[in-house]
Amino acid sequence: MRKVVAIILASAFFAVLLVSFSNIQQADYGEKEYYYQNPINGSYANESVPSHYISNTKNETGAVNAVTAIVVEYRGFDTLGEVTVLFTAATGVSFLLYKTRGGKKRTEANLILKEGSKLVLPFILLTGAYIFIHGHLTPGGGFPGGAVIASGFLLMMLSYPKFFMKERAVSVTESMAGITFAFIGLLGLVFASSFLQNFLPLGDAGYILSAGIIPIIYIAIGFKVGSELSSIADKLKEVQK
Amino acid sequence: MMWPEYITVAALISIGLYGVMAKKNLMKIFIALSLMETGVNLLLITIGYIPGGTAPIENGNFAKYVDPLPQALVLTAIVIGLSVTALALTLLIWYHSKTGTLEYRRGMRW
Amino acid sequence: MVTPVLMIAIPLLAAFLMPLIKKAHRYFTFSILLLNAILSVLLFAKVYNDGAIYETIAGFSPPVGIYLAVDNLSALLALIINLFATINFVTSKKDFKFSMLYLLGVTGATGIVLTGDIFNMFVFFEITAVASYALVASKKDEKAVEGSIKYMILGSVGSSFMLIGIAIIYSQLKSLNLYDIAARISSMDPKMMWLSFSFLLTGIGVEAELFPLNGWVPDAYEGASSNIASFLSFGPSKASIYAIARLLIIFSMSRTYELALYVGIATLLIGEVAAFMQKNEKRMLAYSSIGQMGLILIAFSLIKDTSYAIPAAFFIIVSHASAKSSLFLISGKKGFGGITSKYVGLAGVLSLIGMPPMAGFWGKWYLLMGIADEKMWAVAAVIIFSAVIEAIYFARYLHKNLGEGESEDLGYSIPAAVMVSVSIVMGILPLIYNMAGGVLNA
Repeated sequence: MRKVVAIILASAFFAVLLVSFSNIQQADYGEKEYYYQNPINGSYANESVPSHYISNTKNETGAVNAVTAIVVEYRGFDTLGEVTVLFTAATGVSFLLYKTRGGKKRTEANLILKEGSKLVLPFILLTGAYIFIHGHLTPGGGFPGGAVIASGFLLMMLSYPKFFMKERAVSVTESMAGITFAFIGLLGLVFASSFLQNFLPLGDAGYILSAGIIPIIYIAIGFKVGSELSSIADKLKEVQK
Repeated sequence: MMWPEYITVAALISIGLYGVMAKKNLMKIFIALSLMETGVNLLLITIGYIPGGTAPIENGNFAKYVDPLPQALVLTAIVIGLSVTALALTLLIWYHSKTGTLEYRRGMRW
Repeated sequence: MVTPVLMIAIPLLAAFLMPLIKKAHRYFTFSILLLNAILSVLLFAKVYNDGAIYETIAGFSPPVGIYLAVDNLSALLALIINLFATINFVTSKKDFKFSMLYLLGVTGATGIVLTGDIFNMFVFFEITAVASYALVASKKDEKAVEGSIKYMILGSVGSSFMLIGIAIIYSQLKSLNLYDIAARISSMDPKMMWLSFSFLLTGIGVEAELFPLNGWVPDAYEGASSNIASFLSFGPSKASIYAIARLLIIFSMSRTYELALYVGIATLLIGEVAAFMQKNEKRMLAYSSIGQMGLILIAFSLIKDTSYAIPAAFFIIVSHASAKSSLFLISGKKGFGGITSKYVGLAGVLSLIGMPPMAGFWGKWYLLMGIADEKMWAVAAVIIFSAVIEAIYFARYLHKNLGEGESEDLGYSIPAAVMVSVSIVMGILPLIYNMAGGVLNA
């Protein structure tokens, strides 16, 4: 009965979604109907929001990668919130799962996995760092980079049953990275006019030392995401009985 | 109009919704929720796509770039979904240790 | 220099700092929350004198960047949330992670109220939601975990729906700024407008405890410890009902107001009737919360028709936030043992029913005045009927509890008494109406 109702509701929902999607036009975002209105003074602009990003990223933020510029600069506040959501979840996980270390004795991994992961770990960490340091130049950035770093630690956890993250070090890294992000934001309020505004020189677009605060924030995010994801994986592993 | 993409999106979201409504195993419910989230992320990406556009990284060789904003939004949405999933797994561990099962017993009552 | 962004940035910085200063975490959190409450008073004074504040973030003019839009009502809501959060935090006895989660939850709720960007609002929704899931489960018994899981399932579905709504709006207008959307909404295909409105209403409705998405409410409130139940009733739910009010103003079609009115009436009736049938005290309070949220939504759905709507909603919000939170706070013990909890129980119930010296009275008064202006007698009848039911079950509740009871825990009942006094003060100072009647800019 429950399943029948669910199937009927889900297919009705499918139909509703299809109908609504059929009205979406895959139009060019630069067209006139999308021109925005400035909320503060009410004037109409002669461009749409996405085309503003496409045409002005390089000279307004110094980054080549428009997605990064949006994530860190234009909509940096969202990213601060996003980092906070992850931080909240990591805190929640460790809040709910403390004092459960130990559990069942696990079988050792075999020699190839153990030695191999030791060999690969530095390269994984290096790749992660490369991804988040070059966030403003290439696809990627703090979140993928941090996830790659966490995957390196996950590999260690899989191959060494007794491998635990040092809780204190992880939480200090996490805090310091978060503080860096929020503090840079506040510095923007002090040195420039608004929160999270860039106050460093933009440099030549396309080089590593460019784009003002973007690389600094992305490095902080990389550390933060890396440590948070590793600590979540670590906590979830501890309770296995 | 790109039918294959939108049909996939609608299918993913409604399969997720079906799973949430019909399944009793909490693990399956959370898998269904992840499916829904994936569907929504795909929807955002599809909205931002324009035929023939390339990734919005400026290098002078292309004239047409896809809309970069939905991609930034999806990045945020993915991380949020991941956080919720992590917390859900934690709660499931607790639920399992308290009740010895992953079946939701009390059901969805109003 | 008072800028709204400080009310979000400082608590976030403090939460990030917390693992480094584990020892003094309770005083630290308390002082940050107090600072936030003071900031919101200053912010309200500024908005009241100079008109709405628009603060751009990252230096890009909206809608290219994000901005915070603060008007009278949102400054007042930020004040309510932070003030009650400060008072409620006194009862916390847990470790620093609890304090962090609590601070983050309050920050998220503040962010929902202050932001002027729809996706940013979604992000803040998720902050509060994720913090609340963990906080509800913090009691760590079976009921708490079950309530939290239920909350999480519905909350995740809700956030997916909200994101679909945002995606549909974006596909039509290529903008995420609330004001920009409001200005250009008429160029949207009406079908798409309806779809996005219903997706957003469904998504936010989960947090705002609206029918039919409030299945999580009784379980989560029953499972959570009493100070978290109290937090849920002044924090996330109030912020999200305000988000719905903003949404209504953006879409601003008579049909959407009508839909909101019907949803509000259904929520009110179902909440009150379910509370009437309920034996368990905490569940009864939770269902009564649902009813009150319906009342607030009814008030907001009249925004366009009558100038009484905003003061009515404001007074019901104040009354419900203070009275229900304090009732939840003293609900840990059986009966009202001491004089303080007797006072809290009596004052809280009077405010919720809507008796004269309390804020709740002014809420219902303005609401009925507005409805009478519009000659919507059926709605008035529903509200009066629900008030009668409310009076009956609260009389039963008082009868059961006012007699003998376990000796009270002053650590809980004194903060509760302070909270409920806010409702009395706001009832005695109805002049505040003039302040609350400011324009609500979308």
